[in-house]
Amino acid sequence: MALLEVTNLTKRFGGLTANDAVSFEVTKGELLGLIGPNGAGKTTLFNCIAGLHPIDAGTVHFQEQNITRLASHEIARLGLARTFQIMVASGDLNVLENIMVGCFLHTGSRMKAKAEAEQILKDMELSDLGGYLVSELPVAAQKRVAMATALGTRPKLLLLDEVAAGLNPSEIEGITAIIQRIHTEMGITVMLIEHVMEMVMNLSQRVVVLDYGRKIAEGDPKLVVKDPNVIKAYLGERYAKEHL
Amino acid sequence: MEILTGSISAGLLIGMVFALVALGLTIIFGVMDIVNFAHGEFLMLGMYTALLTAQATGFDPLLTIPFAGLVGFMLGVICYLGFVKYLIRGPMVAQLLGTFGLMLVLRNLALFLFGSEDRTIHEGLLVGQSFDLGMGVIVPATKLAAAVLSVVLFTAVWLLINRTRIGKALMATALNAQGARYMGIPTERMNAFAWGIGGATVTMAGALLVNFWSVTPYVGLLFTMIAFAIVALGGFGSIPGAFFAGLIVGLITELPGIWDFIAEMTGFAWMVDVPMTSFKYTWVYLAYFLIMLIRPRGLFGWKH
Amino acid sequence: METLKNALDFSDFPRLDLTLAASVAVFLLVFPFFSHSSFAMSTLIQFLIFSLYGMGWNTIGGYGGQVDLGKAQYLGIGAYTTSVMLLRWDTPFWISMPIGILFSVTWSFIIGYPLFKLKGHYFAIATIATSLVLKDLFEVWELVGGSRGIEILAGKYQTPDFVHLIFKGDDYYYYVILIFFFIGILFMNAFRKSRLGFQLRSIKDNEDIARSLGINVHWAKIKTYAVATAFVSAVGSFHACYVKNIEPEDTMSLDISILIALMAMLGGAGSLWGPIIGAAVLVPLKSYLKEWLGAQAGMVGIDLIIYGAIIMIISAAEPRGIWGMVEKARRRKRN
Repeated sequence: MALLEVTNLTKRFGGLTANDAVSFEVTKGELLGLIGPNGAGKTTLFNCIAGLHPIDAGTVHFQEQNITRLASHEIARLGLARTFQIMVASGDLNVLENIMVGCFLHTGSRMKAKAEAEQILKDMELSDLGGYLVSELPVAAQKRVAMATALGTRPKLLLLDEVAAGLNPSEIEGITAIIQRIHTEMGITVMLIEHVMEMVMNLSQRVVVLDYGRKIAEGDPKLVVKDPNVIKAYLGERYAKEHL
Repeated sequence: MEILTGSISAGLLIGMVFALVALGLTIIFGVMDIVNFAHGEFLMLGMYTALLTAQATGFDPLLTIPFAGLVGFMLGVICYLGFVKYLIRGPMVAQLLGTFGLMLVLRNLALFLFGSEDRTIHEGLLVGQSFDLGMGVIVPATKLAAAVLSVVLFTAVWLLINRTRIGKALMATALNAQGARYMGIPTERMNAFAWGIGGATVTMAGALLVNFWSVTPYVGLLFTMIAFAIVALGGFGSIPGAFFAGLIVGLITELPGIWDFIAEMTGFAWMVDVPMTSFKYTWVYLAYFLIMLIRPRGLFGWKH
Repeated sequence: METLKNALDFSDFPRLDLTLAASVAVFLLVFPFFSHSSFAMSTLIQFLIFSLYGMGWNTIGGYGGQVDLGKAQYLGIGAYTTSVMLLRWDTPFWISMPIGILFSVTWSFIIGYPLFKLKGHYFAIATIATSLVLKDLFEVWELVGGSRGIEILAGKYQTPDFVHLIFKGDDYYYYVILIFFFIGILFMNAFRKSRLGFQLRSIKDNEDIARSLGINVHWAKIKTYAVATAFVSAVGSFHACYVKNIEPEDTMSLDISILIALMAMLGGAGSLWGPIIGAAVLVPLKSYLKEWLGAQAGMVGIDLIIYGAIIMIISAAEPRGIWGMVEKARRRKRN
């Protein structure tokens, strides 16, 4: 069953077409990678799906409900959460309280929100850091806080935007394990944008490739990386011709 | 009919002066995204400067305009270098309240120095003169001179910003301060210059205004609000926008006359009883509110 | 039930703060029993009144980061409702105050809906505009006395009258507003821990992130604005009974709106103690400056020059306010 169904999504900024008739599906229980060179329109696609930008054409369905025109908070309430590259719910609040902001979506009770946030902290291996401000943490921990905050809203589909950017190899290993746990143990469908290829290849069951706002390939990661169009997009036409 | 033409002509004339009052605010906002609550106080100081120099030297008040402009320029630069420069590092609430503090200081300094009584200019080449153009259009010479000089000053500032090197540097600072700094533009000095120009235009507007508007230390707030409304309507940072918005706001303040005209035409008795003159400026505030809702960037806005 | 528990739970503050707060509370409780000037008494009442206004502002302005410079209009609505109802129908304070809140909150929804479509400077100036429009209206409205205002004649009441809140001595007023003050602190303590309190702090930092966490940003702001309004309106009603003579120029002016925001900022916007600290500094400062300098011949305006200069220095040098400085120092010490 398709959890998310994007059909012919088009988004223009003035003369620039950031997403050009993009269509794809995310199946329930899947872990889908979204890759593409810088400026391919990946983050814009996330923003359009999550309702942050109004889109120019196309439709987005989530759990068979048309969410194309819904406001972003309404989409979040349906169970579609996203992280941002830089994501702090509030700089005035500590890590635990930041996660509570997300948990308050389902409860008005502070005690319940706190208990839920503490559980998420534990799952994300952040228990020791609950009392710090997000700005006091190292980058790797900040990325985990971003995921934890989004998890607080109890999503069915989690969109992760470059959660491995700026991390060293051992930190990437750690965050890969956490994403895997979110996917398998918590049973949350995940779609992620990532530049770290190794991570995408290890994690994703399927990838979608964007270039200049268009979808140029889709499928098994091992096959997609051999696709000439994808190689051309990443390496440039001339280089691809000369070396492959 | 005469009420209508009279109101419209009066509205347009005062509108040109209002536009000049708002010009400085829109330049300052355009260059550095800060709203200056003390703007009306600059105007008030311009009014006092013109009035007192005219009385002290015996010159016609209109001749004091360049001097008022000089005082305003210096005032603007001093305020920027001594105060605003530090203020803009903080959050917005601090900026708003900080310029409010400046407003209190300037207003009460005037109260301390000049006293609280109303002062008006009684002598001058144009004071008391007027031209009757028929159709109820009576143009006081002082207002006409003010309107004409306002147009001249507007053109001068527009040329300065669009046709000179320093103006281009100012625009560059407004669009992208960091980028401008990399290109070797001394942005700090540009900000100070913007405050200087802002101060100079508004004090000159004060020197024009004092010919037909009495001055007290408390005159500023009304004009600050009028200037906010004009800048919002014209678009924050737009010079032509400020001019046309000034005319519109001038007409809005003459709404009571237009109201009377409609009352006369339609013969509705209830309309005559409405104390419209008490709401002269209410319409300006209301206009600001409505404009911001319908067109948040104003009529000519380019920056948001 | 849980809200009540939150209101009474101050355990997340260091012991030093709680000791200080308790000593201040004790001082405030016993103050009238010691010999004091009537000037000190009225300054303290003003302090309590303004710290309550500041607490109200702090919900939307401090926690929510929306620079609201139009709070005086709600002070006016509360004050006028109580005065007019008392004069016309002899209505008890405890009935007219909730009715005033009802009027204020209704008005806050009407203008809040469009207001919160605006952001930043545009929002701040629009709040001033709405407040000035209302003030202009009150100045010509004969039912409420126009620009002359309205006067409560205390003579016909048998004092102390707790029903209409008419007293001869300031001591009674002092204790009534002190109770308001303690309730206000408890309310704010619950508010900062509530769902809305958390959501607001998220909205203040980044509205896009707040939305992605399922928060209806526009509605959350309108709701909080109504809470702030109710606070200010209730204290405005008290204000009317206390000063007994209200005019649009005094109660609804921009200066009052600014003073309310200023106190919260000076003390530390977005913190529980901020508005109280701010009021404790500014209210006595303002009234003492006026008492010492304002009355002397040839010194007209000097008090407000000093006051304005202090505002300028604070906003340029320490925009996070006194409490912000304390928290920064503590954090540095901890790390």
